[in-house]
Order: sequence, then C-alpha cells, then structure tokens
Amino acid sequence: MINYIYNIPHAIGSNVLNLFAHIGKISIFFYEIIFCTFTLPLYFKTFFNQIIKIGYNSLPVIGLTAFFTGSVLALQIYVGGSRFNAESIVASIVALGITRELGPVIAGLMLAGRVSASISAEIATMKVTEQLDALTTLSTNPIRYLVVPRVLAAMLTLPILVLIADIIGIMGGFVVATQSLGFIEQSYIKNTFDIIQLNDVISGLIKAAVFGFIVAFMGCYHGYNSTGGAQGVGRSTTKAVVSASILILASNYILTSLVFNS
Amino acid sequence: MTDLILKIEKLHKSFGEKVILNDFNINITRNTSQVIIGGSGTGKSVLLKCILGLIEPDQGIISYNNTPLNRDTRKEINFYDEIGMLFQGAALFDSLTVWENITFAIKSKRKNDLREIALDKIHKVGLDSTVLDLYPSELSGGMQKRVALARAIAKDPQLLFFDEPTTGLDPIMADVINNLINEIIDQVGATAITITHDMESAKKIADKISMLYKGNIIWSGDPGEIECSNNPYVDQFINGRSEGPIKINIKD
Ligand SMILES: Nc1ncnc2c1ncn2[C@@H]1O[C@H](COP(=O)(O)OP(=O)(O)OP(=O)(O)O)[C@@H](O)[C@H]1O
Ligand SMILES: [Mg+2]
Repeated sequence: MINYIYNIPHAIGSNVLNLFAHIGKISIFFYEIIFCTFTLPLYFKTFFNQIIKIGYNSLPVIGLTAFFTGSVLALQIYVGGSRFNAESIVASIVALGITRELGPVIAGLMLAGRVSASISAEIATMKVTEQLDALTTLSTNPIRYLVVPRVLAAMLTLPILVLIADIIGIMGGFVVATQSLGFIEQSYIKNTFDIIQLNDVISGLIKAAVFGFIVAFMGCYHGYNSTGGAQGVGRSTTKAVVSASILILASNYILTSLVFNS
Repeated sequence: MTDLILKIEKLHKSFGEKVILNDFNINITRNTSQVIIGGSGTGKSVLLKCILGLIEPDQGIISYNNTPLNRDTRKEINFYDEIGMLFQGAALFDSLTVWENITFAIKSKRKNDLREIALDKIHKVGLDSTVLDLYPSELSGGMQKRVALARAIAKDPQLLFFDEPTTGLDPIMADVINNLINEIIDQVGATAITITHDMESAKKIADKISMLYKGNIIWSGDPGEIECSNNPYVDQFINGRSEGPIKINIKD
C-alpha cells in the first residue's frame, strides 16, 4: 500500500519528464525536416513514387468513403430539414458540409489509417534491420531520403484527394436526393452552386495540406523512434495511426475556430 | 611518427547500468588490417557504431587522420565518403534491387556505368550477374552478406569496417572473402577493421589481432603470436573452452 502511494508522485514525475522529452524530440525532428526540405538534394524519384503510393493508391478508399458520406448526409439532412419544413436545404448543407468539413476530415482519417500505418511500419522495420544506419554510412541522410519525400508527397496529394472527395461526396448527396428523396435534378445542382463559394473549397484544401503533413509526419516520427524489434514495429504503427487521427481532429477544430470561421 | 588513420582514446559507453566500453583505447595504422576478436556481447559492434557516429559515446575521443570526429566534423571532411561498412546483419535496402543496393552511394553516373560497377563488385564477392536484378529477400543469408560486402567496397573506400564478414558462409566462400579483404588492403592500400569469431579468417587477414574483454583490449599482437600469447583469456577464447577465466553464466 505504502509503495503505491510513493509510486504516485514518481509516476507523475516520470510522465511529465517523458512528455517534455517527447516534445523535444518532435521539435528536433520537425526542424530537421524543414532544414532538409529547403536544402538540396531533393530525392525526386522517391518523391514521385510516394505520390503514387500515397495519392493514387488511396483514390478508391477515399472515393468510396466520400460517396457514402455524401449520401448519408443527404438522408439525415432531409430528415432534420423536414421537421422545420425546410427540406430544400439538403443541397446547400451537403455542399457546405462536404467541402468545409467532412471531405478533408474523412480523407485525412482514411489516409491516417492507410498511410501513417504503412509509413511507420516501413521505417520502423528499416530501423530494426539497421537499414537507417546503413543509409548514414552511405553518405545519405535518412531524413532527407525517407522522410522529406513522404511528407511533401502527402502534403501535395491530400488536397488533390480532398478535391476529388468533395466532388464525389456532393455527387453522392445528389444521387440520393434525386433518386430516392424526389428532388429535381436541375434545381438541386443550382442550389449547390448557388451556396458554394471558392473560400469553402479552399479552406478545405488548406486543411487537407495540414492533415497530409500530420499523417506523414506521425508515420515517420513513430517509425523513426521505434525500439524493440518486431513488437516495436507493431507498437509504432499503432501509435502513428492513433496520434495522427487525434491530431487531425484537434487541428481541424483549431483551424476552423481560428482561421476559417467567417 | 607512425601514420595513424584512426586513434581512439578513453572511449566510454554504457547502456543504462550496463558498461559496454570502459576506457577503451586503440591506434590503427594506415594500410593495415586490424582484427578485433571477443566474446558475444562484449561490445564489438557497439565499438564500430561509435566510430561511425551511429551511437553517441558517453566519453572519449575518436580521431580520423588527426581530426576528432563528431557530427559536424564528419560532415566537413565527408567522412562517410571515405569509409565502407559491412553490417553484421547485412542491412540491405529491401526496396531496392541488388545492383541498386551496391551502387547506392555512387552519385551522378549513368545507369549502365552503375550496373558495370555492380557487376565488377559482385564478381569479387563470388556471385554472378544473375543476382543483379533480384531483391534482397530473394537471396540466401550468405548471399545477402556478400552483397552487403560488395556495397561496402563499391566506392573503393580508404577505411573499411567489416562486422563478421565470414559468418554464415561455407569454408570455401569464406576463403574467397578472406582473399578479397587481403587484396583490398594490399592493392588498394586501404585500411580494414574486421570483427570476427572465425579464427581461421582472423589469422589469414590480420596484420594485428586485438582481443576485447570487459570493455577493454586485453591483448594485442601479430596473428603468429596468438597461439603462444600466454594470456589465459586469449587461450581460452581461441581454443573455445568453456572452462577458464572467462566466466559464462549458465544455470544448471
Ligand atoms: N541500442 C542498445 N541498447 C541497449 N543495449 C545495447 C544496444 N546495443 C547493444 N547493446 C548491448 O551492448 C552489448 C554489446 O553489444 P554488441 O552488439 O556490441 O555485441 P558484440 O560484441 O557485437 O556481440 P556479437 O559478437 O554477438 O555480435 C550487448 O550486451 C547488448 O545488449
Ligand atoms: Mg556484433
């Protein structure tokens, strides 16, 4: 019993220390990425490979989730709207909801699951098998060679994916609204384009770039700092996905409330 | 004054409570072959990683051509362009083919020239051109080790580190590798630091053998002298006896 009581301050202290150590490590990692991004050389080949892997290969997943999200949004808004006799609002809310919030957030979360996990597993395995050490002895900075191309590729491709997700999501709403809720096609399209402003789309795309950074950064960071063999690879993958998802949702709130709330 | 390529003074490294290197000193003369022997887990690989800057030592100075090495000076003198390292576990890049692995550090050359270099090196380690386009996962353990060796020597470096170059190889292949290491030192004028448990290999390639025990070098000498070193630790080690001054903890 006494032992437990003594353990409490010890646990608090060591957790606080851990937290600061973590923040320090993340800052250094961040700084090195920035430094390597703005100095040569940039590894174009890996960069293009990553655009394919992160961007192109994520299209089906993101397209499907966007479609279903748009569809279900239309259904729910219709139910809600009909309680105020305002069913006509479906088109506007689907368009705004998708472009401003759901497009970027859903695409970001899907990418966190798909890409953070694979990046961190790959880099952690390279660490365990001393491939990161081998890179250094072959005059190659692992951050420059592995991390920078992934971070840049994710930041570039996620906004493009989100743009596609916006279109598919709005189409999902359109299909449900016109096929099963009885909306007239021309007026639905007109309502959509009347409400949507360039700002709505752009704010979503900027969020997407931030989320892309978070996804790749968390994947790389946890992979890079993985310890303890195959078990460690699994642990770092879980950490990457969880932390990327939480950071996406948290930063989404912060961005919305501070920057895109007008 | 002798021509030292590497000088290590008072090197300390511990992991937590566990002291690995304790006041470790060694001088390595240019164009010689230094072999380091020692029991499993005595810190031989850790020593190489300290020299290479992959592990930060707690204390001590490592000088290369009279320049004390640290993160900045390694960059300034392009340290990594002048060395080659064979990792104990090969550490090949599994997303790249064999020839891309071998020529990884060679920049600004056309693809055909690179393949030419890869072919030359792969022959030297006793493999043939059929492996060039394979991925490391398609090779056997001994083949991976040899590809990694080919990668370490690809740039004809001045200073080479081999972490157990002959483990996992059959006796004939091991001899091919021994000859290769000798050739690199004699003909290219390079310096090699080799870790090995293979006493045959050690006697064949070494100009000087040193034994690491409890964080320090306890014996150094010519390969010819090792049989009659009169050092009980060395005797026990090279004859592979479980009884002797080196205690092995086995519960019965
Ligand atoms: N990153 C690390 N963290 C903690 N301990 C480590 C680490 N690396 C090595 N060690 C410890 O250092 C000691 C020496 O390891 P090292 O790999 O240098 O042994 P070695 O002499 O190369 O052995 P072997 O001949 O089996 O390869 C071991 O006891 C190991 O547990
Ligand atoms: Mg070792």
